Parts: sequence; structure tokens; C-alpha cells
Amino acid sequence: MLSLFIILPLLSLMVINLLPKELMKKIGTLMSLILPLAQMLVVVFIFLGILDIRPGPADHFFKFNLAIDNISLVMLFSIAIVILVTLLVERHLIPDADERFNFLNLVLITFTGMNGIVLVQDLFSLYVFLEITTVATFILISFHKKRDALEGAFKYIILSALATVGILSSIALIFLISGDTSFAVVHQALQNSRHAFLIDFALAIFLGSLFIKGGLVPFHGWLADAYSSAGRAISILLAGIVTKTLGVYTLIRLVSSVFGFDTEVKGVLMFIGALSIIIGAFAALGQHDFKRLLAYSSISQVGYIILSLGCGTPLGIAAAVFHLFNHAIFKSLLFVNSAALELQTGTRHMDKMGGLAQKMPITGVTSLLASLSTAGMPPLSGFWSKLLIVMALWFSGHFAYAIIAVLASVLTLGYMLSLQNRVFFGKLRPELENVKEASFGLLFPMIILAGIIVGVGALFPFILNSLIFPIIIK
Amino acid sequence: MTDPLALFWITCVFVIMLMIAGLYCIFVTYNLIRVLIGLELLIKAVTLLLVVAGYANNHLARSQAFVITLIVMEVIFIAVAAGIVIGLYYHNQSLDVRKLRNLKG
Repeated sequence: MLSLFIILPLLSLMVINLLPKELMKKIGTLMSLILPLAQMLVVVFIFLGILDIRPGPADHFFKFNLAIDNISLVMLFSIAIVILVTLLVERHLIPDADERFNFLNLVLITFTGMNGIVLVQDLFSLYVFLEITTVATFILISFHKKRDALEGAFKYIILSALATVGILSSIALIFLISGDTSFAVVHQALQNSRHAFLIDFALAIFLGSLFIKGGLVPFHGWLADAYSSAGRAISILLAGIVTKTLGVYTLIRLVSSVFGFDTEVKGVLMFIGALSIIIGAFAALGQHDFKRLLAYSSISQVGYIILSLGCGTPLGIAAAVFHLFNHAIFKSLLFVNSAALELQTGTRHMDKMGGLAQKMPITGVTSLLASLSTAGMPPLSGFWSKLLIVMALWFSGHFAYAIIAVLASVLTLGYMLSLQNRVFFGKLRPELENVKEASFGLLFPMIILAGIIVGVGALFPFILNSLIFPIIIK
Repeated sequence: MTDPLALFWITCVFVIMLMIAGLYCIFVTYNLIRVLIGLELLIKAVTLLLVVAGYANNHLARSQAFVITLIVMEVIFIAVAAGIVIGLYYHNQSLDVRKLRNLKG
């Protein structure tokens, strides 16, 4: 049953390439929409206990070592939402049919890779799926072959290759010690091993490499370039879920179920998290490009996730996963907004915009909701996850970090409101008189995502009981 | 050389030398193709490390599987990277890293 999460996207990739190409250019995207929708339904069904996950016939053919828990369910759901949104807006952001078809193929490869990352229980398979997703991402970033995009992609390639080499060396050392690479065996072996120095060394390389993949300070150089130079549809996918799955989810999974929370690991995670929060927020304050601001905001928000993970308590992990979900929602919403703005006004420079709320009311309102959720305004979803993060920090005795988290949230509000102020409020500039609201195809995903932000915020007590407590108790 | 672990440490010296050579190649050169060659050196070093780790703990079959997978992944990776270098060459008419200064801030 579980291997279907990996096999079905791969299979549909083959199917859309085997069927007549002219036909698939027209309906390929529509057909592929079934996949993320089905994944969302299946995740909800597994979550409610309606569907059980016993090994089915597919698992006897493909003997992956897979497992699922609440963290993976949340991730699978977020992946499905962001893929769905990307496929929905694709038609409006990529006009050329050939390019759209290539884009669809790459998105499906990324989908396969991310589902694999979330489900595998083995270090080497994890590496393989990381690499599948990363290579598909390189091509996606340089998709339109613009000069800037190629430059951003090349920077990403260099840093990502260094991270890959680090991950592989670390896997080789762990393999030397434990003789196997499955999570359970490695966890046992690391506990009982005599080679303390080798383990610490391997762990340090692994964590550093994942920091590069997740774009955390001080390895964030590639992230803003890659996000801002990538095409409009691509940066939604990239910022919404890909780097979070590659770097952050992997970090959560490995630290919580393989490496364990040493004092040093906790210290490093919290320090890097706090550093990313602060530097990301200050860098975002000085930006004039809409997408670059969002990229730095992304670094800052990922910092929150890592800071919360660094508590090492079940509440911290639950808060990290919840914030990861919220981040996927509001960041992809903001990137859809930026795509709509760029499409309608022809610029991403925020100083050249202003007063657009009158002309693009739905884009304005949804991006205001997303900004406030990012900044942690009650009662939106971002508030609850930040509250949980601060609580986790406070209860585990890290008062200084809790205060940093609260204060940095003011900075977040600062840059997000400055964005709103420069783009949507104020006087309408004369050259923007003829700007119209984006087409319905772009507004529809915005409304869905904004609905999720408001809905999760309003239904928080239900989510706390059904989603967050199970993670804590486990 | 009968002790597998002794062989491991000796090979480690070569792995580290290869890694230093690769990193040196990446950080010193201004040529995009040479950067890719540096990355290749680094990946080769890791491949060697995986082989010898499997030899040292008597799981040679498993490490063979890893290495074959790794070689396939590496080929795909380098092919894509080389494609991007070609794209950059078409735009800049040069392979100089110093021309990649467009994105800032």
C-alpha cells in the first residue's frame, strides 16, 4: 500500500509519455491533478483510520523499506497541496504547450522523489530520493534558460553537490560502524558503538549538509538566488515544499528517529535556528524584489522550525511539524500572489507598485492573510504554530531563545507589513491604472490556500487534539 | 595487509587527499568546467570511501549495490550540471565564474 505513494507518480509519468503527445499536452495536467487529490484523500483516510496500511500486492513486488507516522502524514498532505496548486496555476504561468508538458514531467519526478523522502526508512534510499528531487529541481530552476535562472541553478548545484558529498561520506562512516543503513539498525548501532569520535564526525557532516539543503544561515547563499531567479510556477513548488522536504523534514526525521537528541545536537540546532531567524528577517527588511523578500522570509521561518526542533521535546517536534505545514501553505500562497502580481504589472520591484489593493482585491486580501499568518497574528494558523514553538522553548527552559522567537516575530510583522504597504496600500501609481485582477485560474488556488489558513486557525482545538497530541504522545 | 580496518585507514588517507584536491579545484579555479571536475573528484572520493567501508565491515555486497547506484546518480547529476554550464556559456560567451555576479542582495 505504502509503495503506491512512490509508484503511482512514477507510473503516471510513464503513462503521459507513452500516450499520444499532442493529446497529453492538452489533458496531461488535468489527468495528473488526480494524483495529488487522491493523495490528500488517502492521507485523510489513513489519518481517520478508515484505510489501513497493510502491505498490499504492490509491496510484494517492490520491497521498499517504508513506514508512515503522523509526521509523514502531515508532510504527504502538504506535498499534495503544493503540487496541486502548482499544477493548477501552471496553465496560466507557462503559456507554451511544449514547455508546459516538460514542466509537468519534472513536477511528477519531484513528486515521486518527495514522497520517497518522506516514506523511506533507510539512509541510502533516502540519499537516492534526495538526489532524484534535487536533480529535477536543478532543471526546474533553469527551466526557461534565462541567464539569471542558470546562474541561480549553478550556485545551487555547487552547494547541493557539496551537501551530497557530505551526506554520502557520513553515510559511508555510519555504514562502516553499523553494517547496515536502515534507520532502526543505525539507531541501535549508534547507541552501542565504541567509535564515539567517528560518530560525532559523521553526525556533524550530516547535519551541516542538511543545513545546506534546507538553506539555513550560514549556508543560505544559494536560496535567495534560486528562488528569485526561478520561473513563476517553479518558485511556488520550490519555496512551498521542495527545500522543506529536502532539508528540513529530513533533519526532523533523522534527528528524532536516528541520531537522537544529544546536548550538542540540540545546541547546534537551536543556535543555527535562532541565527537563521534573525539574519533572514533583517535581510528581508532590506529587499526591494518581491520574491527575494519572500525567499529571505523563508529562511527566517525555517529557522523557527529548526529552533523548535532543537528543544528535543515532543512538543517541540510537534510544533516544528505544524509550522512546516503552515509554512508550506502561506509561502506557496505568497508565491502565487507574487506570480499574479508579476503577470499583471510586469514587475517584481516593490517600489514600482503601490495601491494595488483597489485593482486586485482578491490578490490583496489573500496576500494580507498570508502575511499576517507568517507574522503570527491570531487567529490565523501561523499564530498557533508560533505559539506552540514559544511554549516548547519556554517549557524546555530555553528562555532566551523563547524571547528571541517572540521578538523576531515582531520583525516578521515589520517586513510583511512593509511589503503590504508598498505593494497594496497607499496611492495607486498612474502607470498602474490599467492593471486588472488576475484570471480565475490563479485566484482559485489563492482562495483555497487562504481558506486553509483561516480554517486551520479557526479549527485549531480540533487539530491540536487530533494531530498534535498524537505526535507528542508517540 | 590482513586487517581490514588497517586497510580502511590507509585508504582514508587517499580519500582525504582526493577530497582536498577536489575542494582545491572548486575553490581556486575560475573555470566552470573545472568546478565540475572538482565535484567529480569529490564524488569519486566518496565512492572509494563507500567501497572500503563495505570491505572493512564485511558487507561488500551491500556496498557494491550502493556504489553502482551512486555511479548512476552521479552520471545524471553531472549531465544536468554540464547542461547548465553550456547554457551559461551561450549567455556569457565565456566559462568564467566571475561573470556570475548578476544576482545580489
